[in-house]
Amino acid sequence: MASISTFSGIQTSLRGLLAQQRSLDVTSHNIANASTVGYTRQEATLVATRAMNVSAGDMANGGQLGTGVDVQSYRRVRDQFLDLQYRAQNMQLGDQTARSDALQNVELSFAEPGDAGIQNAMDEFFGAWADLSNSADSGAAKQAVIDKARTLSSQINDLQANLAKQRQAAADEYTQTAGAGGQINQISTDLAATLNAIRSAEKTGAQPNDLYDRRDLLLDQLSTMGQVSVTNSAGGGIDVSLGGVTVVDSDDTTGVASVPAGSFPLTYTASPGGKLGALLDMQSATGPIASYQTALATVASTLASSVNGVYNASGTGTDFFTYGTDPTGLPQLAFNEPAVNVANLTGGTGGPADNSIALGISRLQGGAADQTYKQLVTRMGNEVSAIKRGEANAQVLTDNVKDRRDSVSGVSLDEEMTNIIRFQRAYQASARAMSTTDEMLDTLINRAGRVGL
Amino acid sequence: MSTRITSSMTTRSVLSDLNRISAQQDLTRRQMSSGKQITKPSDDPYGAARAMALRTDLSSVKQHQRNVNEAQSWMSVTSTTLSSITDLAQHARELVVQGSTDTLDQSGRNAIADQIDQLIAGMKQEANATYDGRYVLGGSKTNTPPFDATVTSGGTPNDAYSGDAATQLREIGPGVTLAVNVRGDEVLGGTAGSGGNMLAVLRDVSAHLRSGDTAALGTTDLKAVTGQIDNLLAVQARVGAGMNRLDTASSRLSEVEESTTSMLTNTEDADMAEVITKYSTQQAVYQSALNAGARIIQTSLLDFLH
Repeated sequence: MASISTFSGIQTSLRGLLAQQRSLDVTSHNIANASTVGYTRQEATLVATRAMNVSAGDMANGGQLGTGVDVQSYRRVRDQFLDLQYRAQNMQLGDQTARSDALQNVELSFAEPGDAGIQNAMDEFFGAWADLSNSADSGAAKQAVIDKARTLSSQINDLQANLAKQRQAAADEYTQTAGAGGQINQISTDLAATLNAIRSAEKTGAQPNDLYDRRDLLLDQLSTMGQVSVTNSAGGGIDVSLGGVTVVDSDDTTGVASVPAGSFPLTYTASPGGKLGALLDMQSATGPIASYQTALATVASTLASSVNGVYNASGTGTDFFTYGTDPTGLPQLAFNEPAVNVANLTGGTGGPADNSIALGISRLQGGAADQTYKQLVTRMGNEVSAIKRGEANAQVLTDNVKDRRDSVSGVSLDEEMTNIIRFQRAYQASARAMSTTDEMLDTLINRAGRVGL
Repeated sequence: MSTRITSSMTTRSVLSDLNRISAQQDLTRRQMSSGKQITKPSDDPYGAARAMALRTDLSSVKQHQRNVNEAQSWMSVTSTTLSSITDLAQHARELVVQGSTDTLDQSGRNAIADQIDQLIAGMKQEANATYDGRYVLGGSKTNTPPFDATVTSGGTPNDAYSGDAATQLREIGPGVTLAVNVRGDEVLGGTAGSGGNMLAVLRDVSAHLRSGDTAALGTTDLKAVTGQIDNLLAVQARVGAGMNRLDTASSRLSEVEESTTSMLTNTEDADMAEVITKYSTQQAVYQSALNAGARIIQTSLLDFLH
C-alpha cells in the first residue's frame, strides 16, 4: 500500500484545470468554425486518470483514490452512415440540376407560346399564301410570301443551330469538369494530398480531425459529379472511384495515395450518374436535346415536302423549299432562291390570277408539319416541367439529409455557450480546490508546531 | 436522441424558405408584367399546347375573314358592273322596240343602229371593270382586258372574249371555297365559254336596223335581247346569292373569332385580379418570413449571458 503524497491534491486540481482548459479550447475551436463549410464539431473526451491504491483504515485491500482527469481524445462527432446518404442524394441533385439548367435554356430558345416562336412564323407563312390566293397576280403578295418563307426557314434553322449549341455547351462543360486539369482532377489531386497528410499524421498517433473534415468535404464535392465509392485498399489507404473510374488510388504496399496517371479526361461507357451523367446525356446523340433536334428536322422536312408537293406537284418544276444539310452538317430548310423569285413565283397553274397552288398551300396550315411542331413543344414542355419538379424534390431531399447530418455534426452556438459556462465553472472550482489544498498546506507548514513561538 | 438544431440548419432553412417565396413571387411578377399565365411551355405543357393550337385557329379565322372581305369587294365590283351592263341592255331593248316599228324611216333606224353600236362599246367598256388593278370579268387572265373596247369605224369589230374560262375560288372557311368571279363570256359572249351571247345579238340588231329588217327586229331580235337580259339577271342573282353567303360567312367568322379569342384568353392570359391578390399575399408572407428569420438568426444564448 502506497502512502499518499502530501501534494497529490494539488496535482489532481492541476489536472482538472488543464482538462477544463483543453475543453474550453475545443469550444473556442467549434465556435470559430461555426460557419466553416464541412466542419465537424469536436468535443474533448474526458476520462478519470488512473486511480491510486491506498490503504484505507481497516479495509483489507484498501481502496482507490482518484487522481483527477485527463483528455483522452478529441472526438469528431460524425455519423458515417449519414455521409453515405448525403452523397447519394447529392448525386441525384447534381444530375437533376445539370439537366434542369440545360433544358430550361433549351425551353427559352423555343420562345413558345408567343409571337417570336416558329408557330407564329408558320401561321404567318401560310397566311401569306392565303393572301396570295386572294390576289394571285399581285407582286406585293408574292413578295410577302417570299419574305415569310425566308423568316420561317431561318427561324427553324436558328433553332436547330441553337439546339446544337446547347449540346455543344454540355460537351464543353463536361470537358471543363472531367478533363485533365478540370474541376474533378483538382478535387482528386487535393483529395490524394489530404489522404497522405492524414496518413503521416496518423503515423505519429495523432487524430487529424480537421484533415478528416477536409477529406469528407472533398468527397461531398465529388458526389455532385457522379457516383462516388470509397473502398479500403491493402496498404491501409483508401481508393476513391467516380462512376466506376478510379480517381484516387492508394498504393497496396506503401498506402501512398495518388491520382492514377492517364485517368483524366474521364471517359465512361455507362453513365457515371450525377452532373457528369446528366452532361453526357445532354450532349448525347440519343439524349433529349438530340431528340428535339430530330423532331425539328422532321418538322422542316415535312414542311418542305408538303409545300413542294403542292407547289411543284408534277415534280418536274422548281421546288419552293430546299431541304438538306448546311456546311456544319445540321439539317437546313431554305427558300429555293434565286430559282424561285418574285418574277416567277406562281400562285396557280393557269392564268395570272389562278390561285390553285396558293389555296393548296394555305390549306396546309394545321397540317402535318404544324402538328409535329406542336407535339415537339408539348413534349419539351412536359419534360422541362418534370425535370423542374425533380430538381425541387432532389433539393428538398438533399437539404433533409444535410439537416440530419448537421444535427449531429454541426456547431450549435447555444450548446457551445452552455459548455463555456460549464467548463469555466469547473475550472474555477478546480482552482478553488487547489487554493484550499494550498491553505491546508500553509496551515501544516507555516503554522503547525509553532505553539509558544 | 432529440434532434439538435444547429445554427447552420437554422440559417439554411431560413434561406431556403426565403428563396422559395422569392421564386413564387418571381413567377407571379412575371405573370403580372406579361399578362400571361403561361410564359413558357413548362409552366403548363397542356395549356401551352392548347394555346398554340388556338393561336393557329385564330390566325386561320382571321385569314378567312380577310379572304371574305376580299371576296366581298370583288363581288361588289362585279355586281356594280353587271347592273351597269343590265341598264345598257335595257336601253338596247327599248331601242330594239323603237326600231322595230315601221313608222320610223331608214335614217332614223340608222341613228338607232349607231346608238346600239355605242351601247355595245359601252358594255365592253363596263365589262373591262377592274378591282385593285385586276380585270374582274377575265377569268384568271386578270391582267388583260377581257374585251377590246376601242370603237372601230368600219371593218369587222373585235368582239372576242380574251379572258379564260377559269373560276376564281376564295376560301371562306376551312375547306370551304366560293367562286367569286363572273366571266365576260357568260355575260357578253364572244366564244371561250358558254352562257351569254349579248354582243352577237346586238350586232345582229344593229345589222337588221341598218338593213331595215323590222320583222326580224320585232320578233327574233327582241326575243333574243330579252333572253340576254334574263341571262344577265340570272348571273346577277348568282352574284347576289354569293354575296349573301359571304355576309353569312363573315358574321359566322366573327363569332368564331370572338369565341376563339376568349378561349385563348382563358387559356393563356393571367387573371389579373387573382394574380395581384396572390402577389400581395406572397409579399406579406415574404415580409413575415424575413421578420421571423431576422429574429431567429439574431438571437442566441449569447444575448442573455453576461
